Amino acid sequence: MTMRLDRQPGEVIDRRVEFTFDWNGRTYPAHPGDTIASALAACGERIFSRSFKYHRPRGLLTASHLDPGCIVQVGDEPNVRGGHRLVHAGMQVRSQDTWPTLELDVKAANDLLGRFLPAGFYYKTFIHPRALWPSYERVLQRFAHGGVVSAEPPHPADRYDKRHVHPDVLVAGGGPAGMATAVAAARAGARVLLVEEEPALGGHLRWGRERELSALAELRDLVATTPGIEVLTDSVVLGRYDDNWVAVLQRGLPHVRERLVKARARSLVVAPGLIERPYVFAGNDVPGVLLSTAARRLVNLYAVRPGKRAVVLTANAEGDTAALDLERAGVEVVHVEDARRGGDVVRVLGRRGVQAVEVAGGDRIDCDLLVTAVGWTAPASLLTMAGDVPVYDRRAARFRPDPARLPDDVLPTGGIVGDGSLEQLVAHAEATGQEAARRARGETAVEITALPVEPHPALFHGRTHGIVDFSEDVSSKDLLTAVEEGYDSVELAKRYSTATMGPTQGKLEVVNVVAILAEATGRTIEQTGTTTWRPPYVPVTLGALAGRTREPKRCSPMQTWHQRHGAAPLVAGAWIRPDHYGDPAGEVRAVREHVGIIDVTPIGKLDLRGPDVPELLNLLYVNRWSKLGTGRVRYGVMCAEDGVVLDDGVTGRLDDEHYLMSTTSSGAASVWEWVERWLQTEHPDWRVHVTPVTTAYASINVAGPRSRDLLRRVVEEVDLAPETFPYMHVRRGRVAGVPGCVLWRIGFTGELSFELHVPAAYGLHVWETLLDQGRDLAVQPFGIEAQRILRLEKGHLIVGQDTDGMTRAFGASLDGLVRLDKDDFVGRPELVWQDQGRGHPRLVGLRTVDGSVVPAEGSQLVEDGGRICGRVTSSRMSPTLGRSICLAQVAAHLAEPGTEVTVRLTTGGTAAAIVAQQLAHVDPEGGRLRV
Amino acid sequence: MILLPCPWCGPRDAGEFGYVGEIGVRPDPEAATTEQWRDYLYFRQNVAGWTRERWYHRMGCRRYLAVQRHTLTNEVRSASQHAGQGDDS
Amino acid sequence: MADLTGRGQRRAARYSAVALLRHGIGGGAWPRAWRTHEPKRSYQVVIVGGGVHGLATAYYLARNHGITDVAVLDKGYLGGGGSGRNTAIIRSNYLTPEGVRFYDRSLGMYERLAAELNYNVMFSRRGHLTLAHSDASLRTMRWRAEVNKLSGVDSDIADPDEVKRLVPFLDTSAGARYPILGALYHPPGGIIRHDAVVWGYARAADSLGVHLHQDTEVTGIDVVGGRVSGVRTNRGPIATGTVINCTAGWSTLVSALAGVRMPVQTFPLQAAVTEPVKPFLHTVVVSGTLHVYVSQTDRGELVFGASVDPFASYSTRGSLEFIEGLAGHVLELMPSLAQLRLLRQWAGLCDMTPDFAPIMGSTGVDGFLVDVGWGTYGFKAGPVAGEAMAECVATGRTPEIIAAFGLDRFEEGRLVAEKGAAAVGH
Repeated sequence: MTMRLDRQPGEVIDRRVEFTFDWNGRTYPAHPGDTIASALAACGERIFSRSFKYHRPRGLLTASHLDPGCIVQVGDEPNVRGGHRLVHAGMQVRSQDTWPTLELDVKAANDLLGRFLPAGFYYKTFIHPRALWPSYERVLQRFAHGGVVSAEPPHPADRYDKRHVHPDVLVAGGGPAGMATAVAAARAGARVLLVEEEPALGGHLRWGRERELSALAELRDLVATTPGIEVLTDSVVLGRYDDNWVAVLQRGLPHVRERLVKARARSLVVAPGLIERPYVFAGNDVPGVLLSTAARRLVNLYAVRPGKRAVVLTANAEGDTAALDLERAGVEVVHVEDARRGGDVVRVLGRRGVQAVEVAGGDRIDCDLLVTAVGWTAPASLLTMAGDVPVYDRRAARFRPDPARLPDDVLPTGGIVGDGSLEQLVAHAEATGQEAARRARGETAVEITALPVEPHPALFHGRTHGIVDFSEDVSSKDLLTAVEEGYDSVELAKRYSTATMGPTQGKLEVVNVVAILAEATGRTIEQTGTTTWRPPYVPVTLGALAGRTREPKRCSPMQTWHQRHGAAPLVAGAWIRPDHYGDPAGEVRAVREHVGIIDVTPIGKLDLRGPDVPELLNLLYVNRWSKLGTGRVRYGVMCAEDGVVLDDGVTGRLDDEHYLMSTTSSGAASVWEWVERWLQTEHPDWRVHVTPVTTAYASINVAGPRSRDLLRRVVEEVDLAPETFPYMHVRRGRVAGVPGCVLWRIGFTGELSFELHVPAAYGLHVWETLLDQGRDLAVQPFGIEAQRILRLEKGHLIVGQDTDGMTRAFGASLDGLVRLDKDDFVGRPELVWQDQGRGHPRLVGLRTVDGSVVPAEGSQLVEDGGRICGRVTSSRMSPTLGRSICLAQVAAHLAEPGTEVTVRLTTGGTAAAIVAQQLAHVDPEGGRLRV
Repeated sequence: MILLPCPWCGPRDAGEFGYVGEIGVRPDPEAATTEQWRDYLYFRQNVAGWTRERWYHRMGCRRYLAVQRHTLTNEVRSASQHAGQGDDS
Repeated sequence: MADLTGRGQRRAARYSAVALLRHGIGGGAWPRAWRTHEPKRSYQVVIVGGGVHGLATAYYLARNHGITDVAVLDKGYLGGGGSGRNTAIIRSNYLTPEGVRFYDRSLGMYERLAAELNYNVMFSRRGHLTLAHSDASLRTMRWRAEVNKLSGVDSDIADPDEVKRLVPFLDTSAGARYPILGALYHPPGGIIRHDAVVWGYARAADSLGVHLHQDTEVTGIDVVGGRVSGVRTNRGPIATGTVINCTAGWSTLVSALAGVRMPVQTFPLQAAVTEPVKPFLHTVVVSGTLHVYVSQTDRGELVFGASVDPFASYSTRGSLEFIEGLAGHVLELMPSLAQLRLLRQWAGLCDMTPDFAPIMGSTGVDGFLVDVGWGTYGFKAGPVAGEAMAECVATGRTPEIIAAFGLDRFEEGRLVAEKGAAAVGH
């Protein structure tokens, strides 16, 4: 049975086209421009959902985005606002959380138990017996009220993206005030972004009569023809953050699901209009009770007759007009209850739909529709996000913004500020637009004359208890109960009853909540205050907030080669590195026996130039650097001001005033900042220039007894003989024909090795040349895993693995390195005291008695039946020694070489282990390095 | 995020910067007692009001700045080159 | 158990299903959960801060030590600070044996709290997963697991298959940008209704005679000869010999009133919640690398959190960057949640200390004690902190369980070793 009306002058549906869609398994017709709610209402449907707790049948209330009665599942998308979402052909729509059907829902039994289940009832029960609480929980979870999220990954075509804009003036709200503001600002030379929540500009003019529709056409035309205005419809401002950083959610785009538009607006104009407030009384949630704006929207925008016989409760002009609109639409308006003359609605009778309305005076009037118009709420959230604290205006019976508390770059206009004729609203909006443009140019703020405020009766609740928060199923009785029990401030009552914490975010209900609480506590509304508005203004999808995920990967120039040759990828921060090429133990053997090459490009590298570089090195490293000769390299450790080890690396002197510092790969960026900090803030007088060259060079470590042989074939301009190029020296020359390379002899792996730093563009060329030239030397690439084993065999610590956030230098067994007799260096004071203390844990080499046992890294050392006295920090099976080797942090009293300790294995058993003489397990004298 | 008025780059989103912390006076490491040194390491003013602090323009000019900010409102009053202990900004 | 008769105490109405039934039938009103009083001119103990720490301390002072002449002062409504803004995760899978012991006692107390307070705090044991996306991270998880096991706490490493079994919605494929290599799985961890904990303690403390004063701001602390003699408030002065600072965010200011300096920096910590959907996530999921954690309440809302804001501030306004980053990371973990809608974001204030451990016990001012510096891990420690502070006040000695948390540790260079676990500490 159709409730569709004949053509209405302002209708937004396109009658030329008709299609069908699915609602709970049945097919329904619709036109382009229909929302899910309007299409179903046009077919006479009245029940769209069940309420949260009591599963009472619910119908339309606002017929807009805010409607709590029409939240539905569309395909795999939960919680869709049926009063806003446009319907399209083939759409599959279902009611949420109803079983077995919307019409016959078993949980409606809750409604009968209502008196035993007041707000907060769960705090008073399910306490005993404790063992049953998980079962109680499962029952409570069944009542979780919302749609269903699928586990299927999103369709690749489902995209979200983001956009940055820089408007001079951003106008939130495209009603008459918003449109007039935008035009005025643009005419004053501003770049304007106008954002409107509905699919078209116009606000309340859209569901008006001839006068409104003609004003609408004029304003729309002005917006379209005034240059400098960008309009986003079906879009909403989500929040205003510090310094007018504004987020806008743009919907309804053809090729992306949603777009997050981020704007640094010089001026923000807030023109959201007013939201109509529901009235609280018994039966106010029965399907067929509508707000006047809902009735007018249904009739005028969607050509839908909301019912057959209506009662209208009106306290203002909009309510009066709604009654006229209904009559025009063929609804029999049997009674108008005028609240300005003492009229009131006592209760609505009916459960699945309105059957009768009882009014003040006792009359019972049969009808199927009750329209209420009892007042307005200012949706001030954007203003409160900007620092406003709204003030309650008794005369107007609503909260209004306090202009004194707004920053200069935020201006309100329209209904939120005051009342008046359309002309007055437009005039105020124009003045606001001009002022917004002025302020965007940086001119001094000038106050705008306020709008008049018309008196309005204060109507929040009637004489019976009704629903206050529709989406949370909180009644006025629940609020009184909360107050009775002591949860009597707005915040406590809100949390206890959950009123305003549901999907409508408080917009429909907060003022009624405040009014009822005020009365219950004997305070005024002003004294009671209101809750804090928080972003987002409307619920926004995670997809829109995330946009397209951009997590860049950092790769060396040789990474493609590694991939092609079967390297297992290792995620190291943002870098992708080769972990191994299939046989890490074999790679270790290759390095120990002939020669291997490894890509170490992510190592941090800083180019330091200037006469004062040695001062810098002395300050930041724990050892001495004044006498480092040209061509020499030294290992250094950096500590923080509290003595904790920060980073380590080698630094070489390339020339008189030219050094190259290396850091760990994870420390590359932070050490650079650290160096700059000391230079800029503590020693601006030092002449040192720093250039980060981490990615300017590709770095390759050539290691193994045959590494010199290999390099002889590719290096020019450098004499590689051991007497001319000793251990811990640096040279510059050509490698594989590439000029400007740096080579130093260092020894992380414990074998004869050279680290090459090659201009990055030639990295791959050098890499491939080395492999090609070294074929008969059995050269092999080796990866990070093999390097870890090699360095562990040599006892080299890894900062952050063998040390942690508490390890000071002496705890990392760096005693030989630290020079306490040096001048001030970073960390010195604490290291002096640590040295004096001597009770700290130490880093030691460790070997399990049974060499086949390889303890997991992180295994704990225990004594006296379970007391922790250390942990294994590094652990591997050594291919060179054929047994397991470890590094461990141990308590001071166990750190003597030869001490036996107990390792608790992750399997639960234990293994005995002995503290080694030194950290290095292989070639502790370092003979192999120095050949 | 809030805007920081970088003296070299103009007003930029705070996300471009690294936050270092309150500017305190580094005691002379030679002369400081353990109490004074650890006071410098660990204790903070933590003002609820105007504070003087250090930021680093990581994604911009890579200079260290001294910024005056009100920690309750996040209003920023000024930003200048941070040139060490004695600077008066 | 303290004597429940006389001395301003009253038996609170007992909550139970039977009582609900009776009230439902009879229609009578429930009595107030706690009473309102005019502040007296003096109390034996004044606690500044009416969140879980302050209320628990008051409760245990009364219940365990018979000290009932106690006032809890809060400048706003009870639980309006960190206690009302946290993401309510309870766990004890910490890094150090001392930390594990401490938080595990708290977890045990939370498990028994509903029965103890006769108030359903809705503790829901969910299992707590800390994902490792790198081998360094997995190594730290292993370290924590081993320490936990040695302390008798149920934790172990779960491999990616087990992780997928626990949370089918997680992307555990190797193709993820930061693939999940494993996780620290801690079955006893769970979530709780944070407001209920505050109200439960408030009601129980009130029934034992403690006075709760909301909207009462401490504006000064009187110290005479190095010893506390009273506090000044916006409702008049109160004489007392013992003041306990149980605030978060404002602890530096309150301590400054007593002339005590703090090693604390205050940072906002933001959180967000989605609209409810049918329950699908039954475990608490944390990712250190992606700086995000997720849980789902019994009502069906997803609760999200991450790390503290990048700069110190007293503003709780929240930022767009936070929800953008959060959403991005959540979708990396669980890509099918793109259509889920964020409903609300908020922030609380966290007092961060140099070693990610709290500051508890006496200070240089006699009679002025602190229970502060709780960073991002204060709520889960409420019961054990309250119990320990009560003992501290009642006996005049620092209980062993909080011995490592003294204020003097900073000048003595004895920082607590929890820094390793603090990546995203929830």
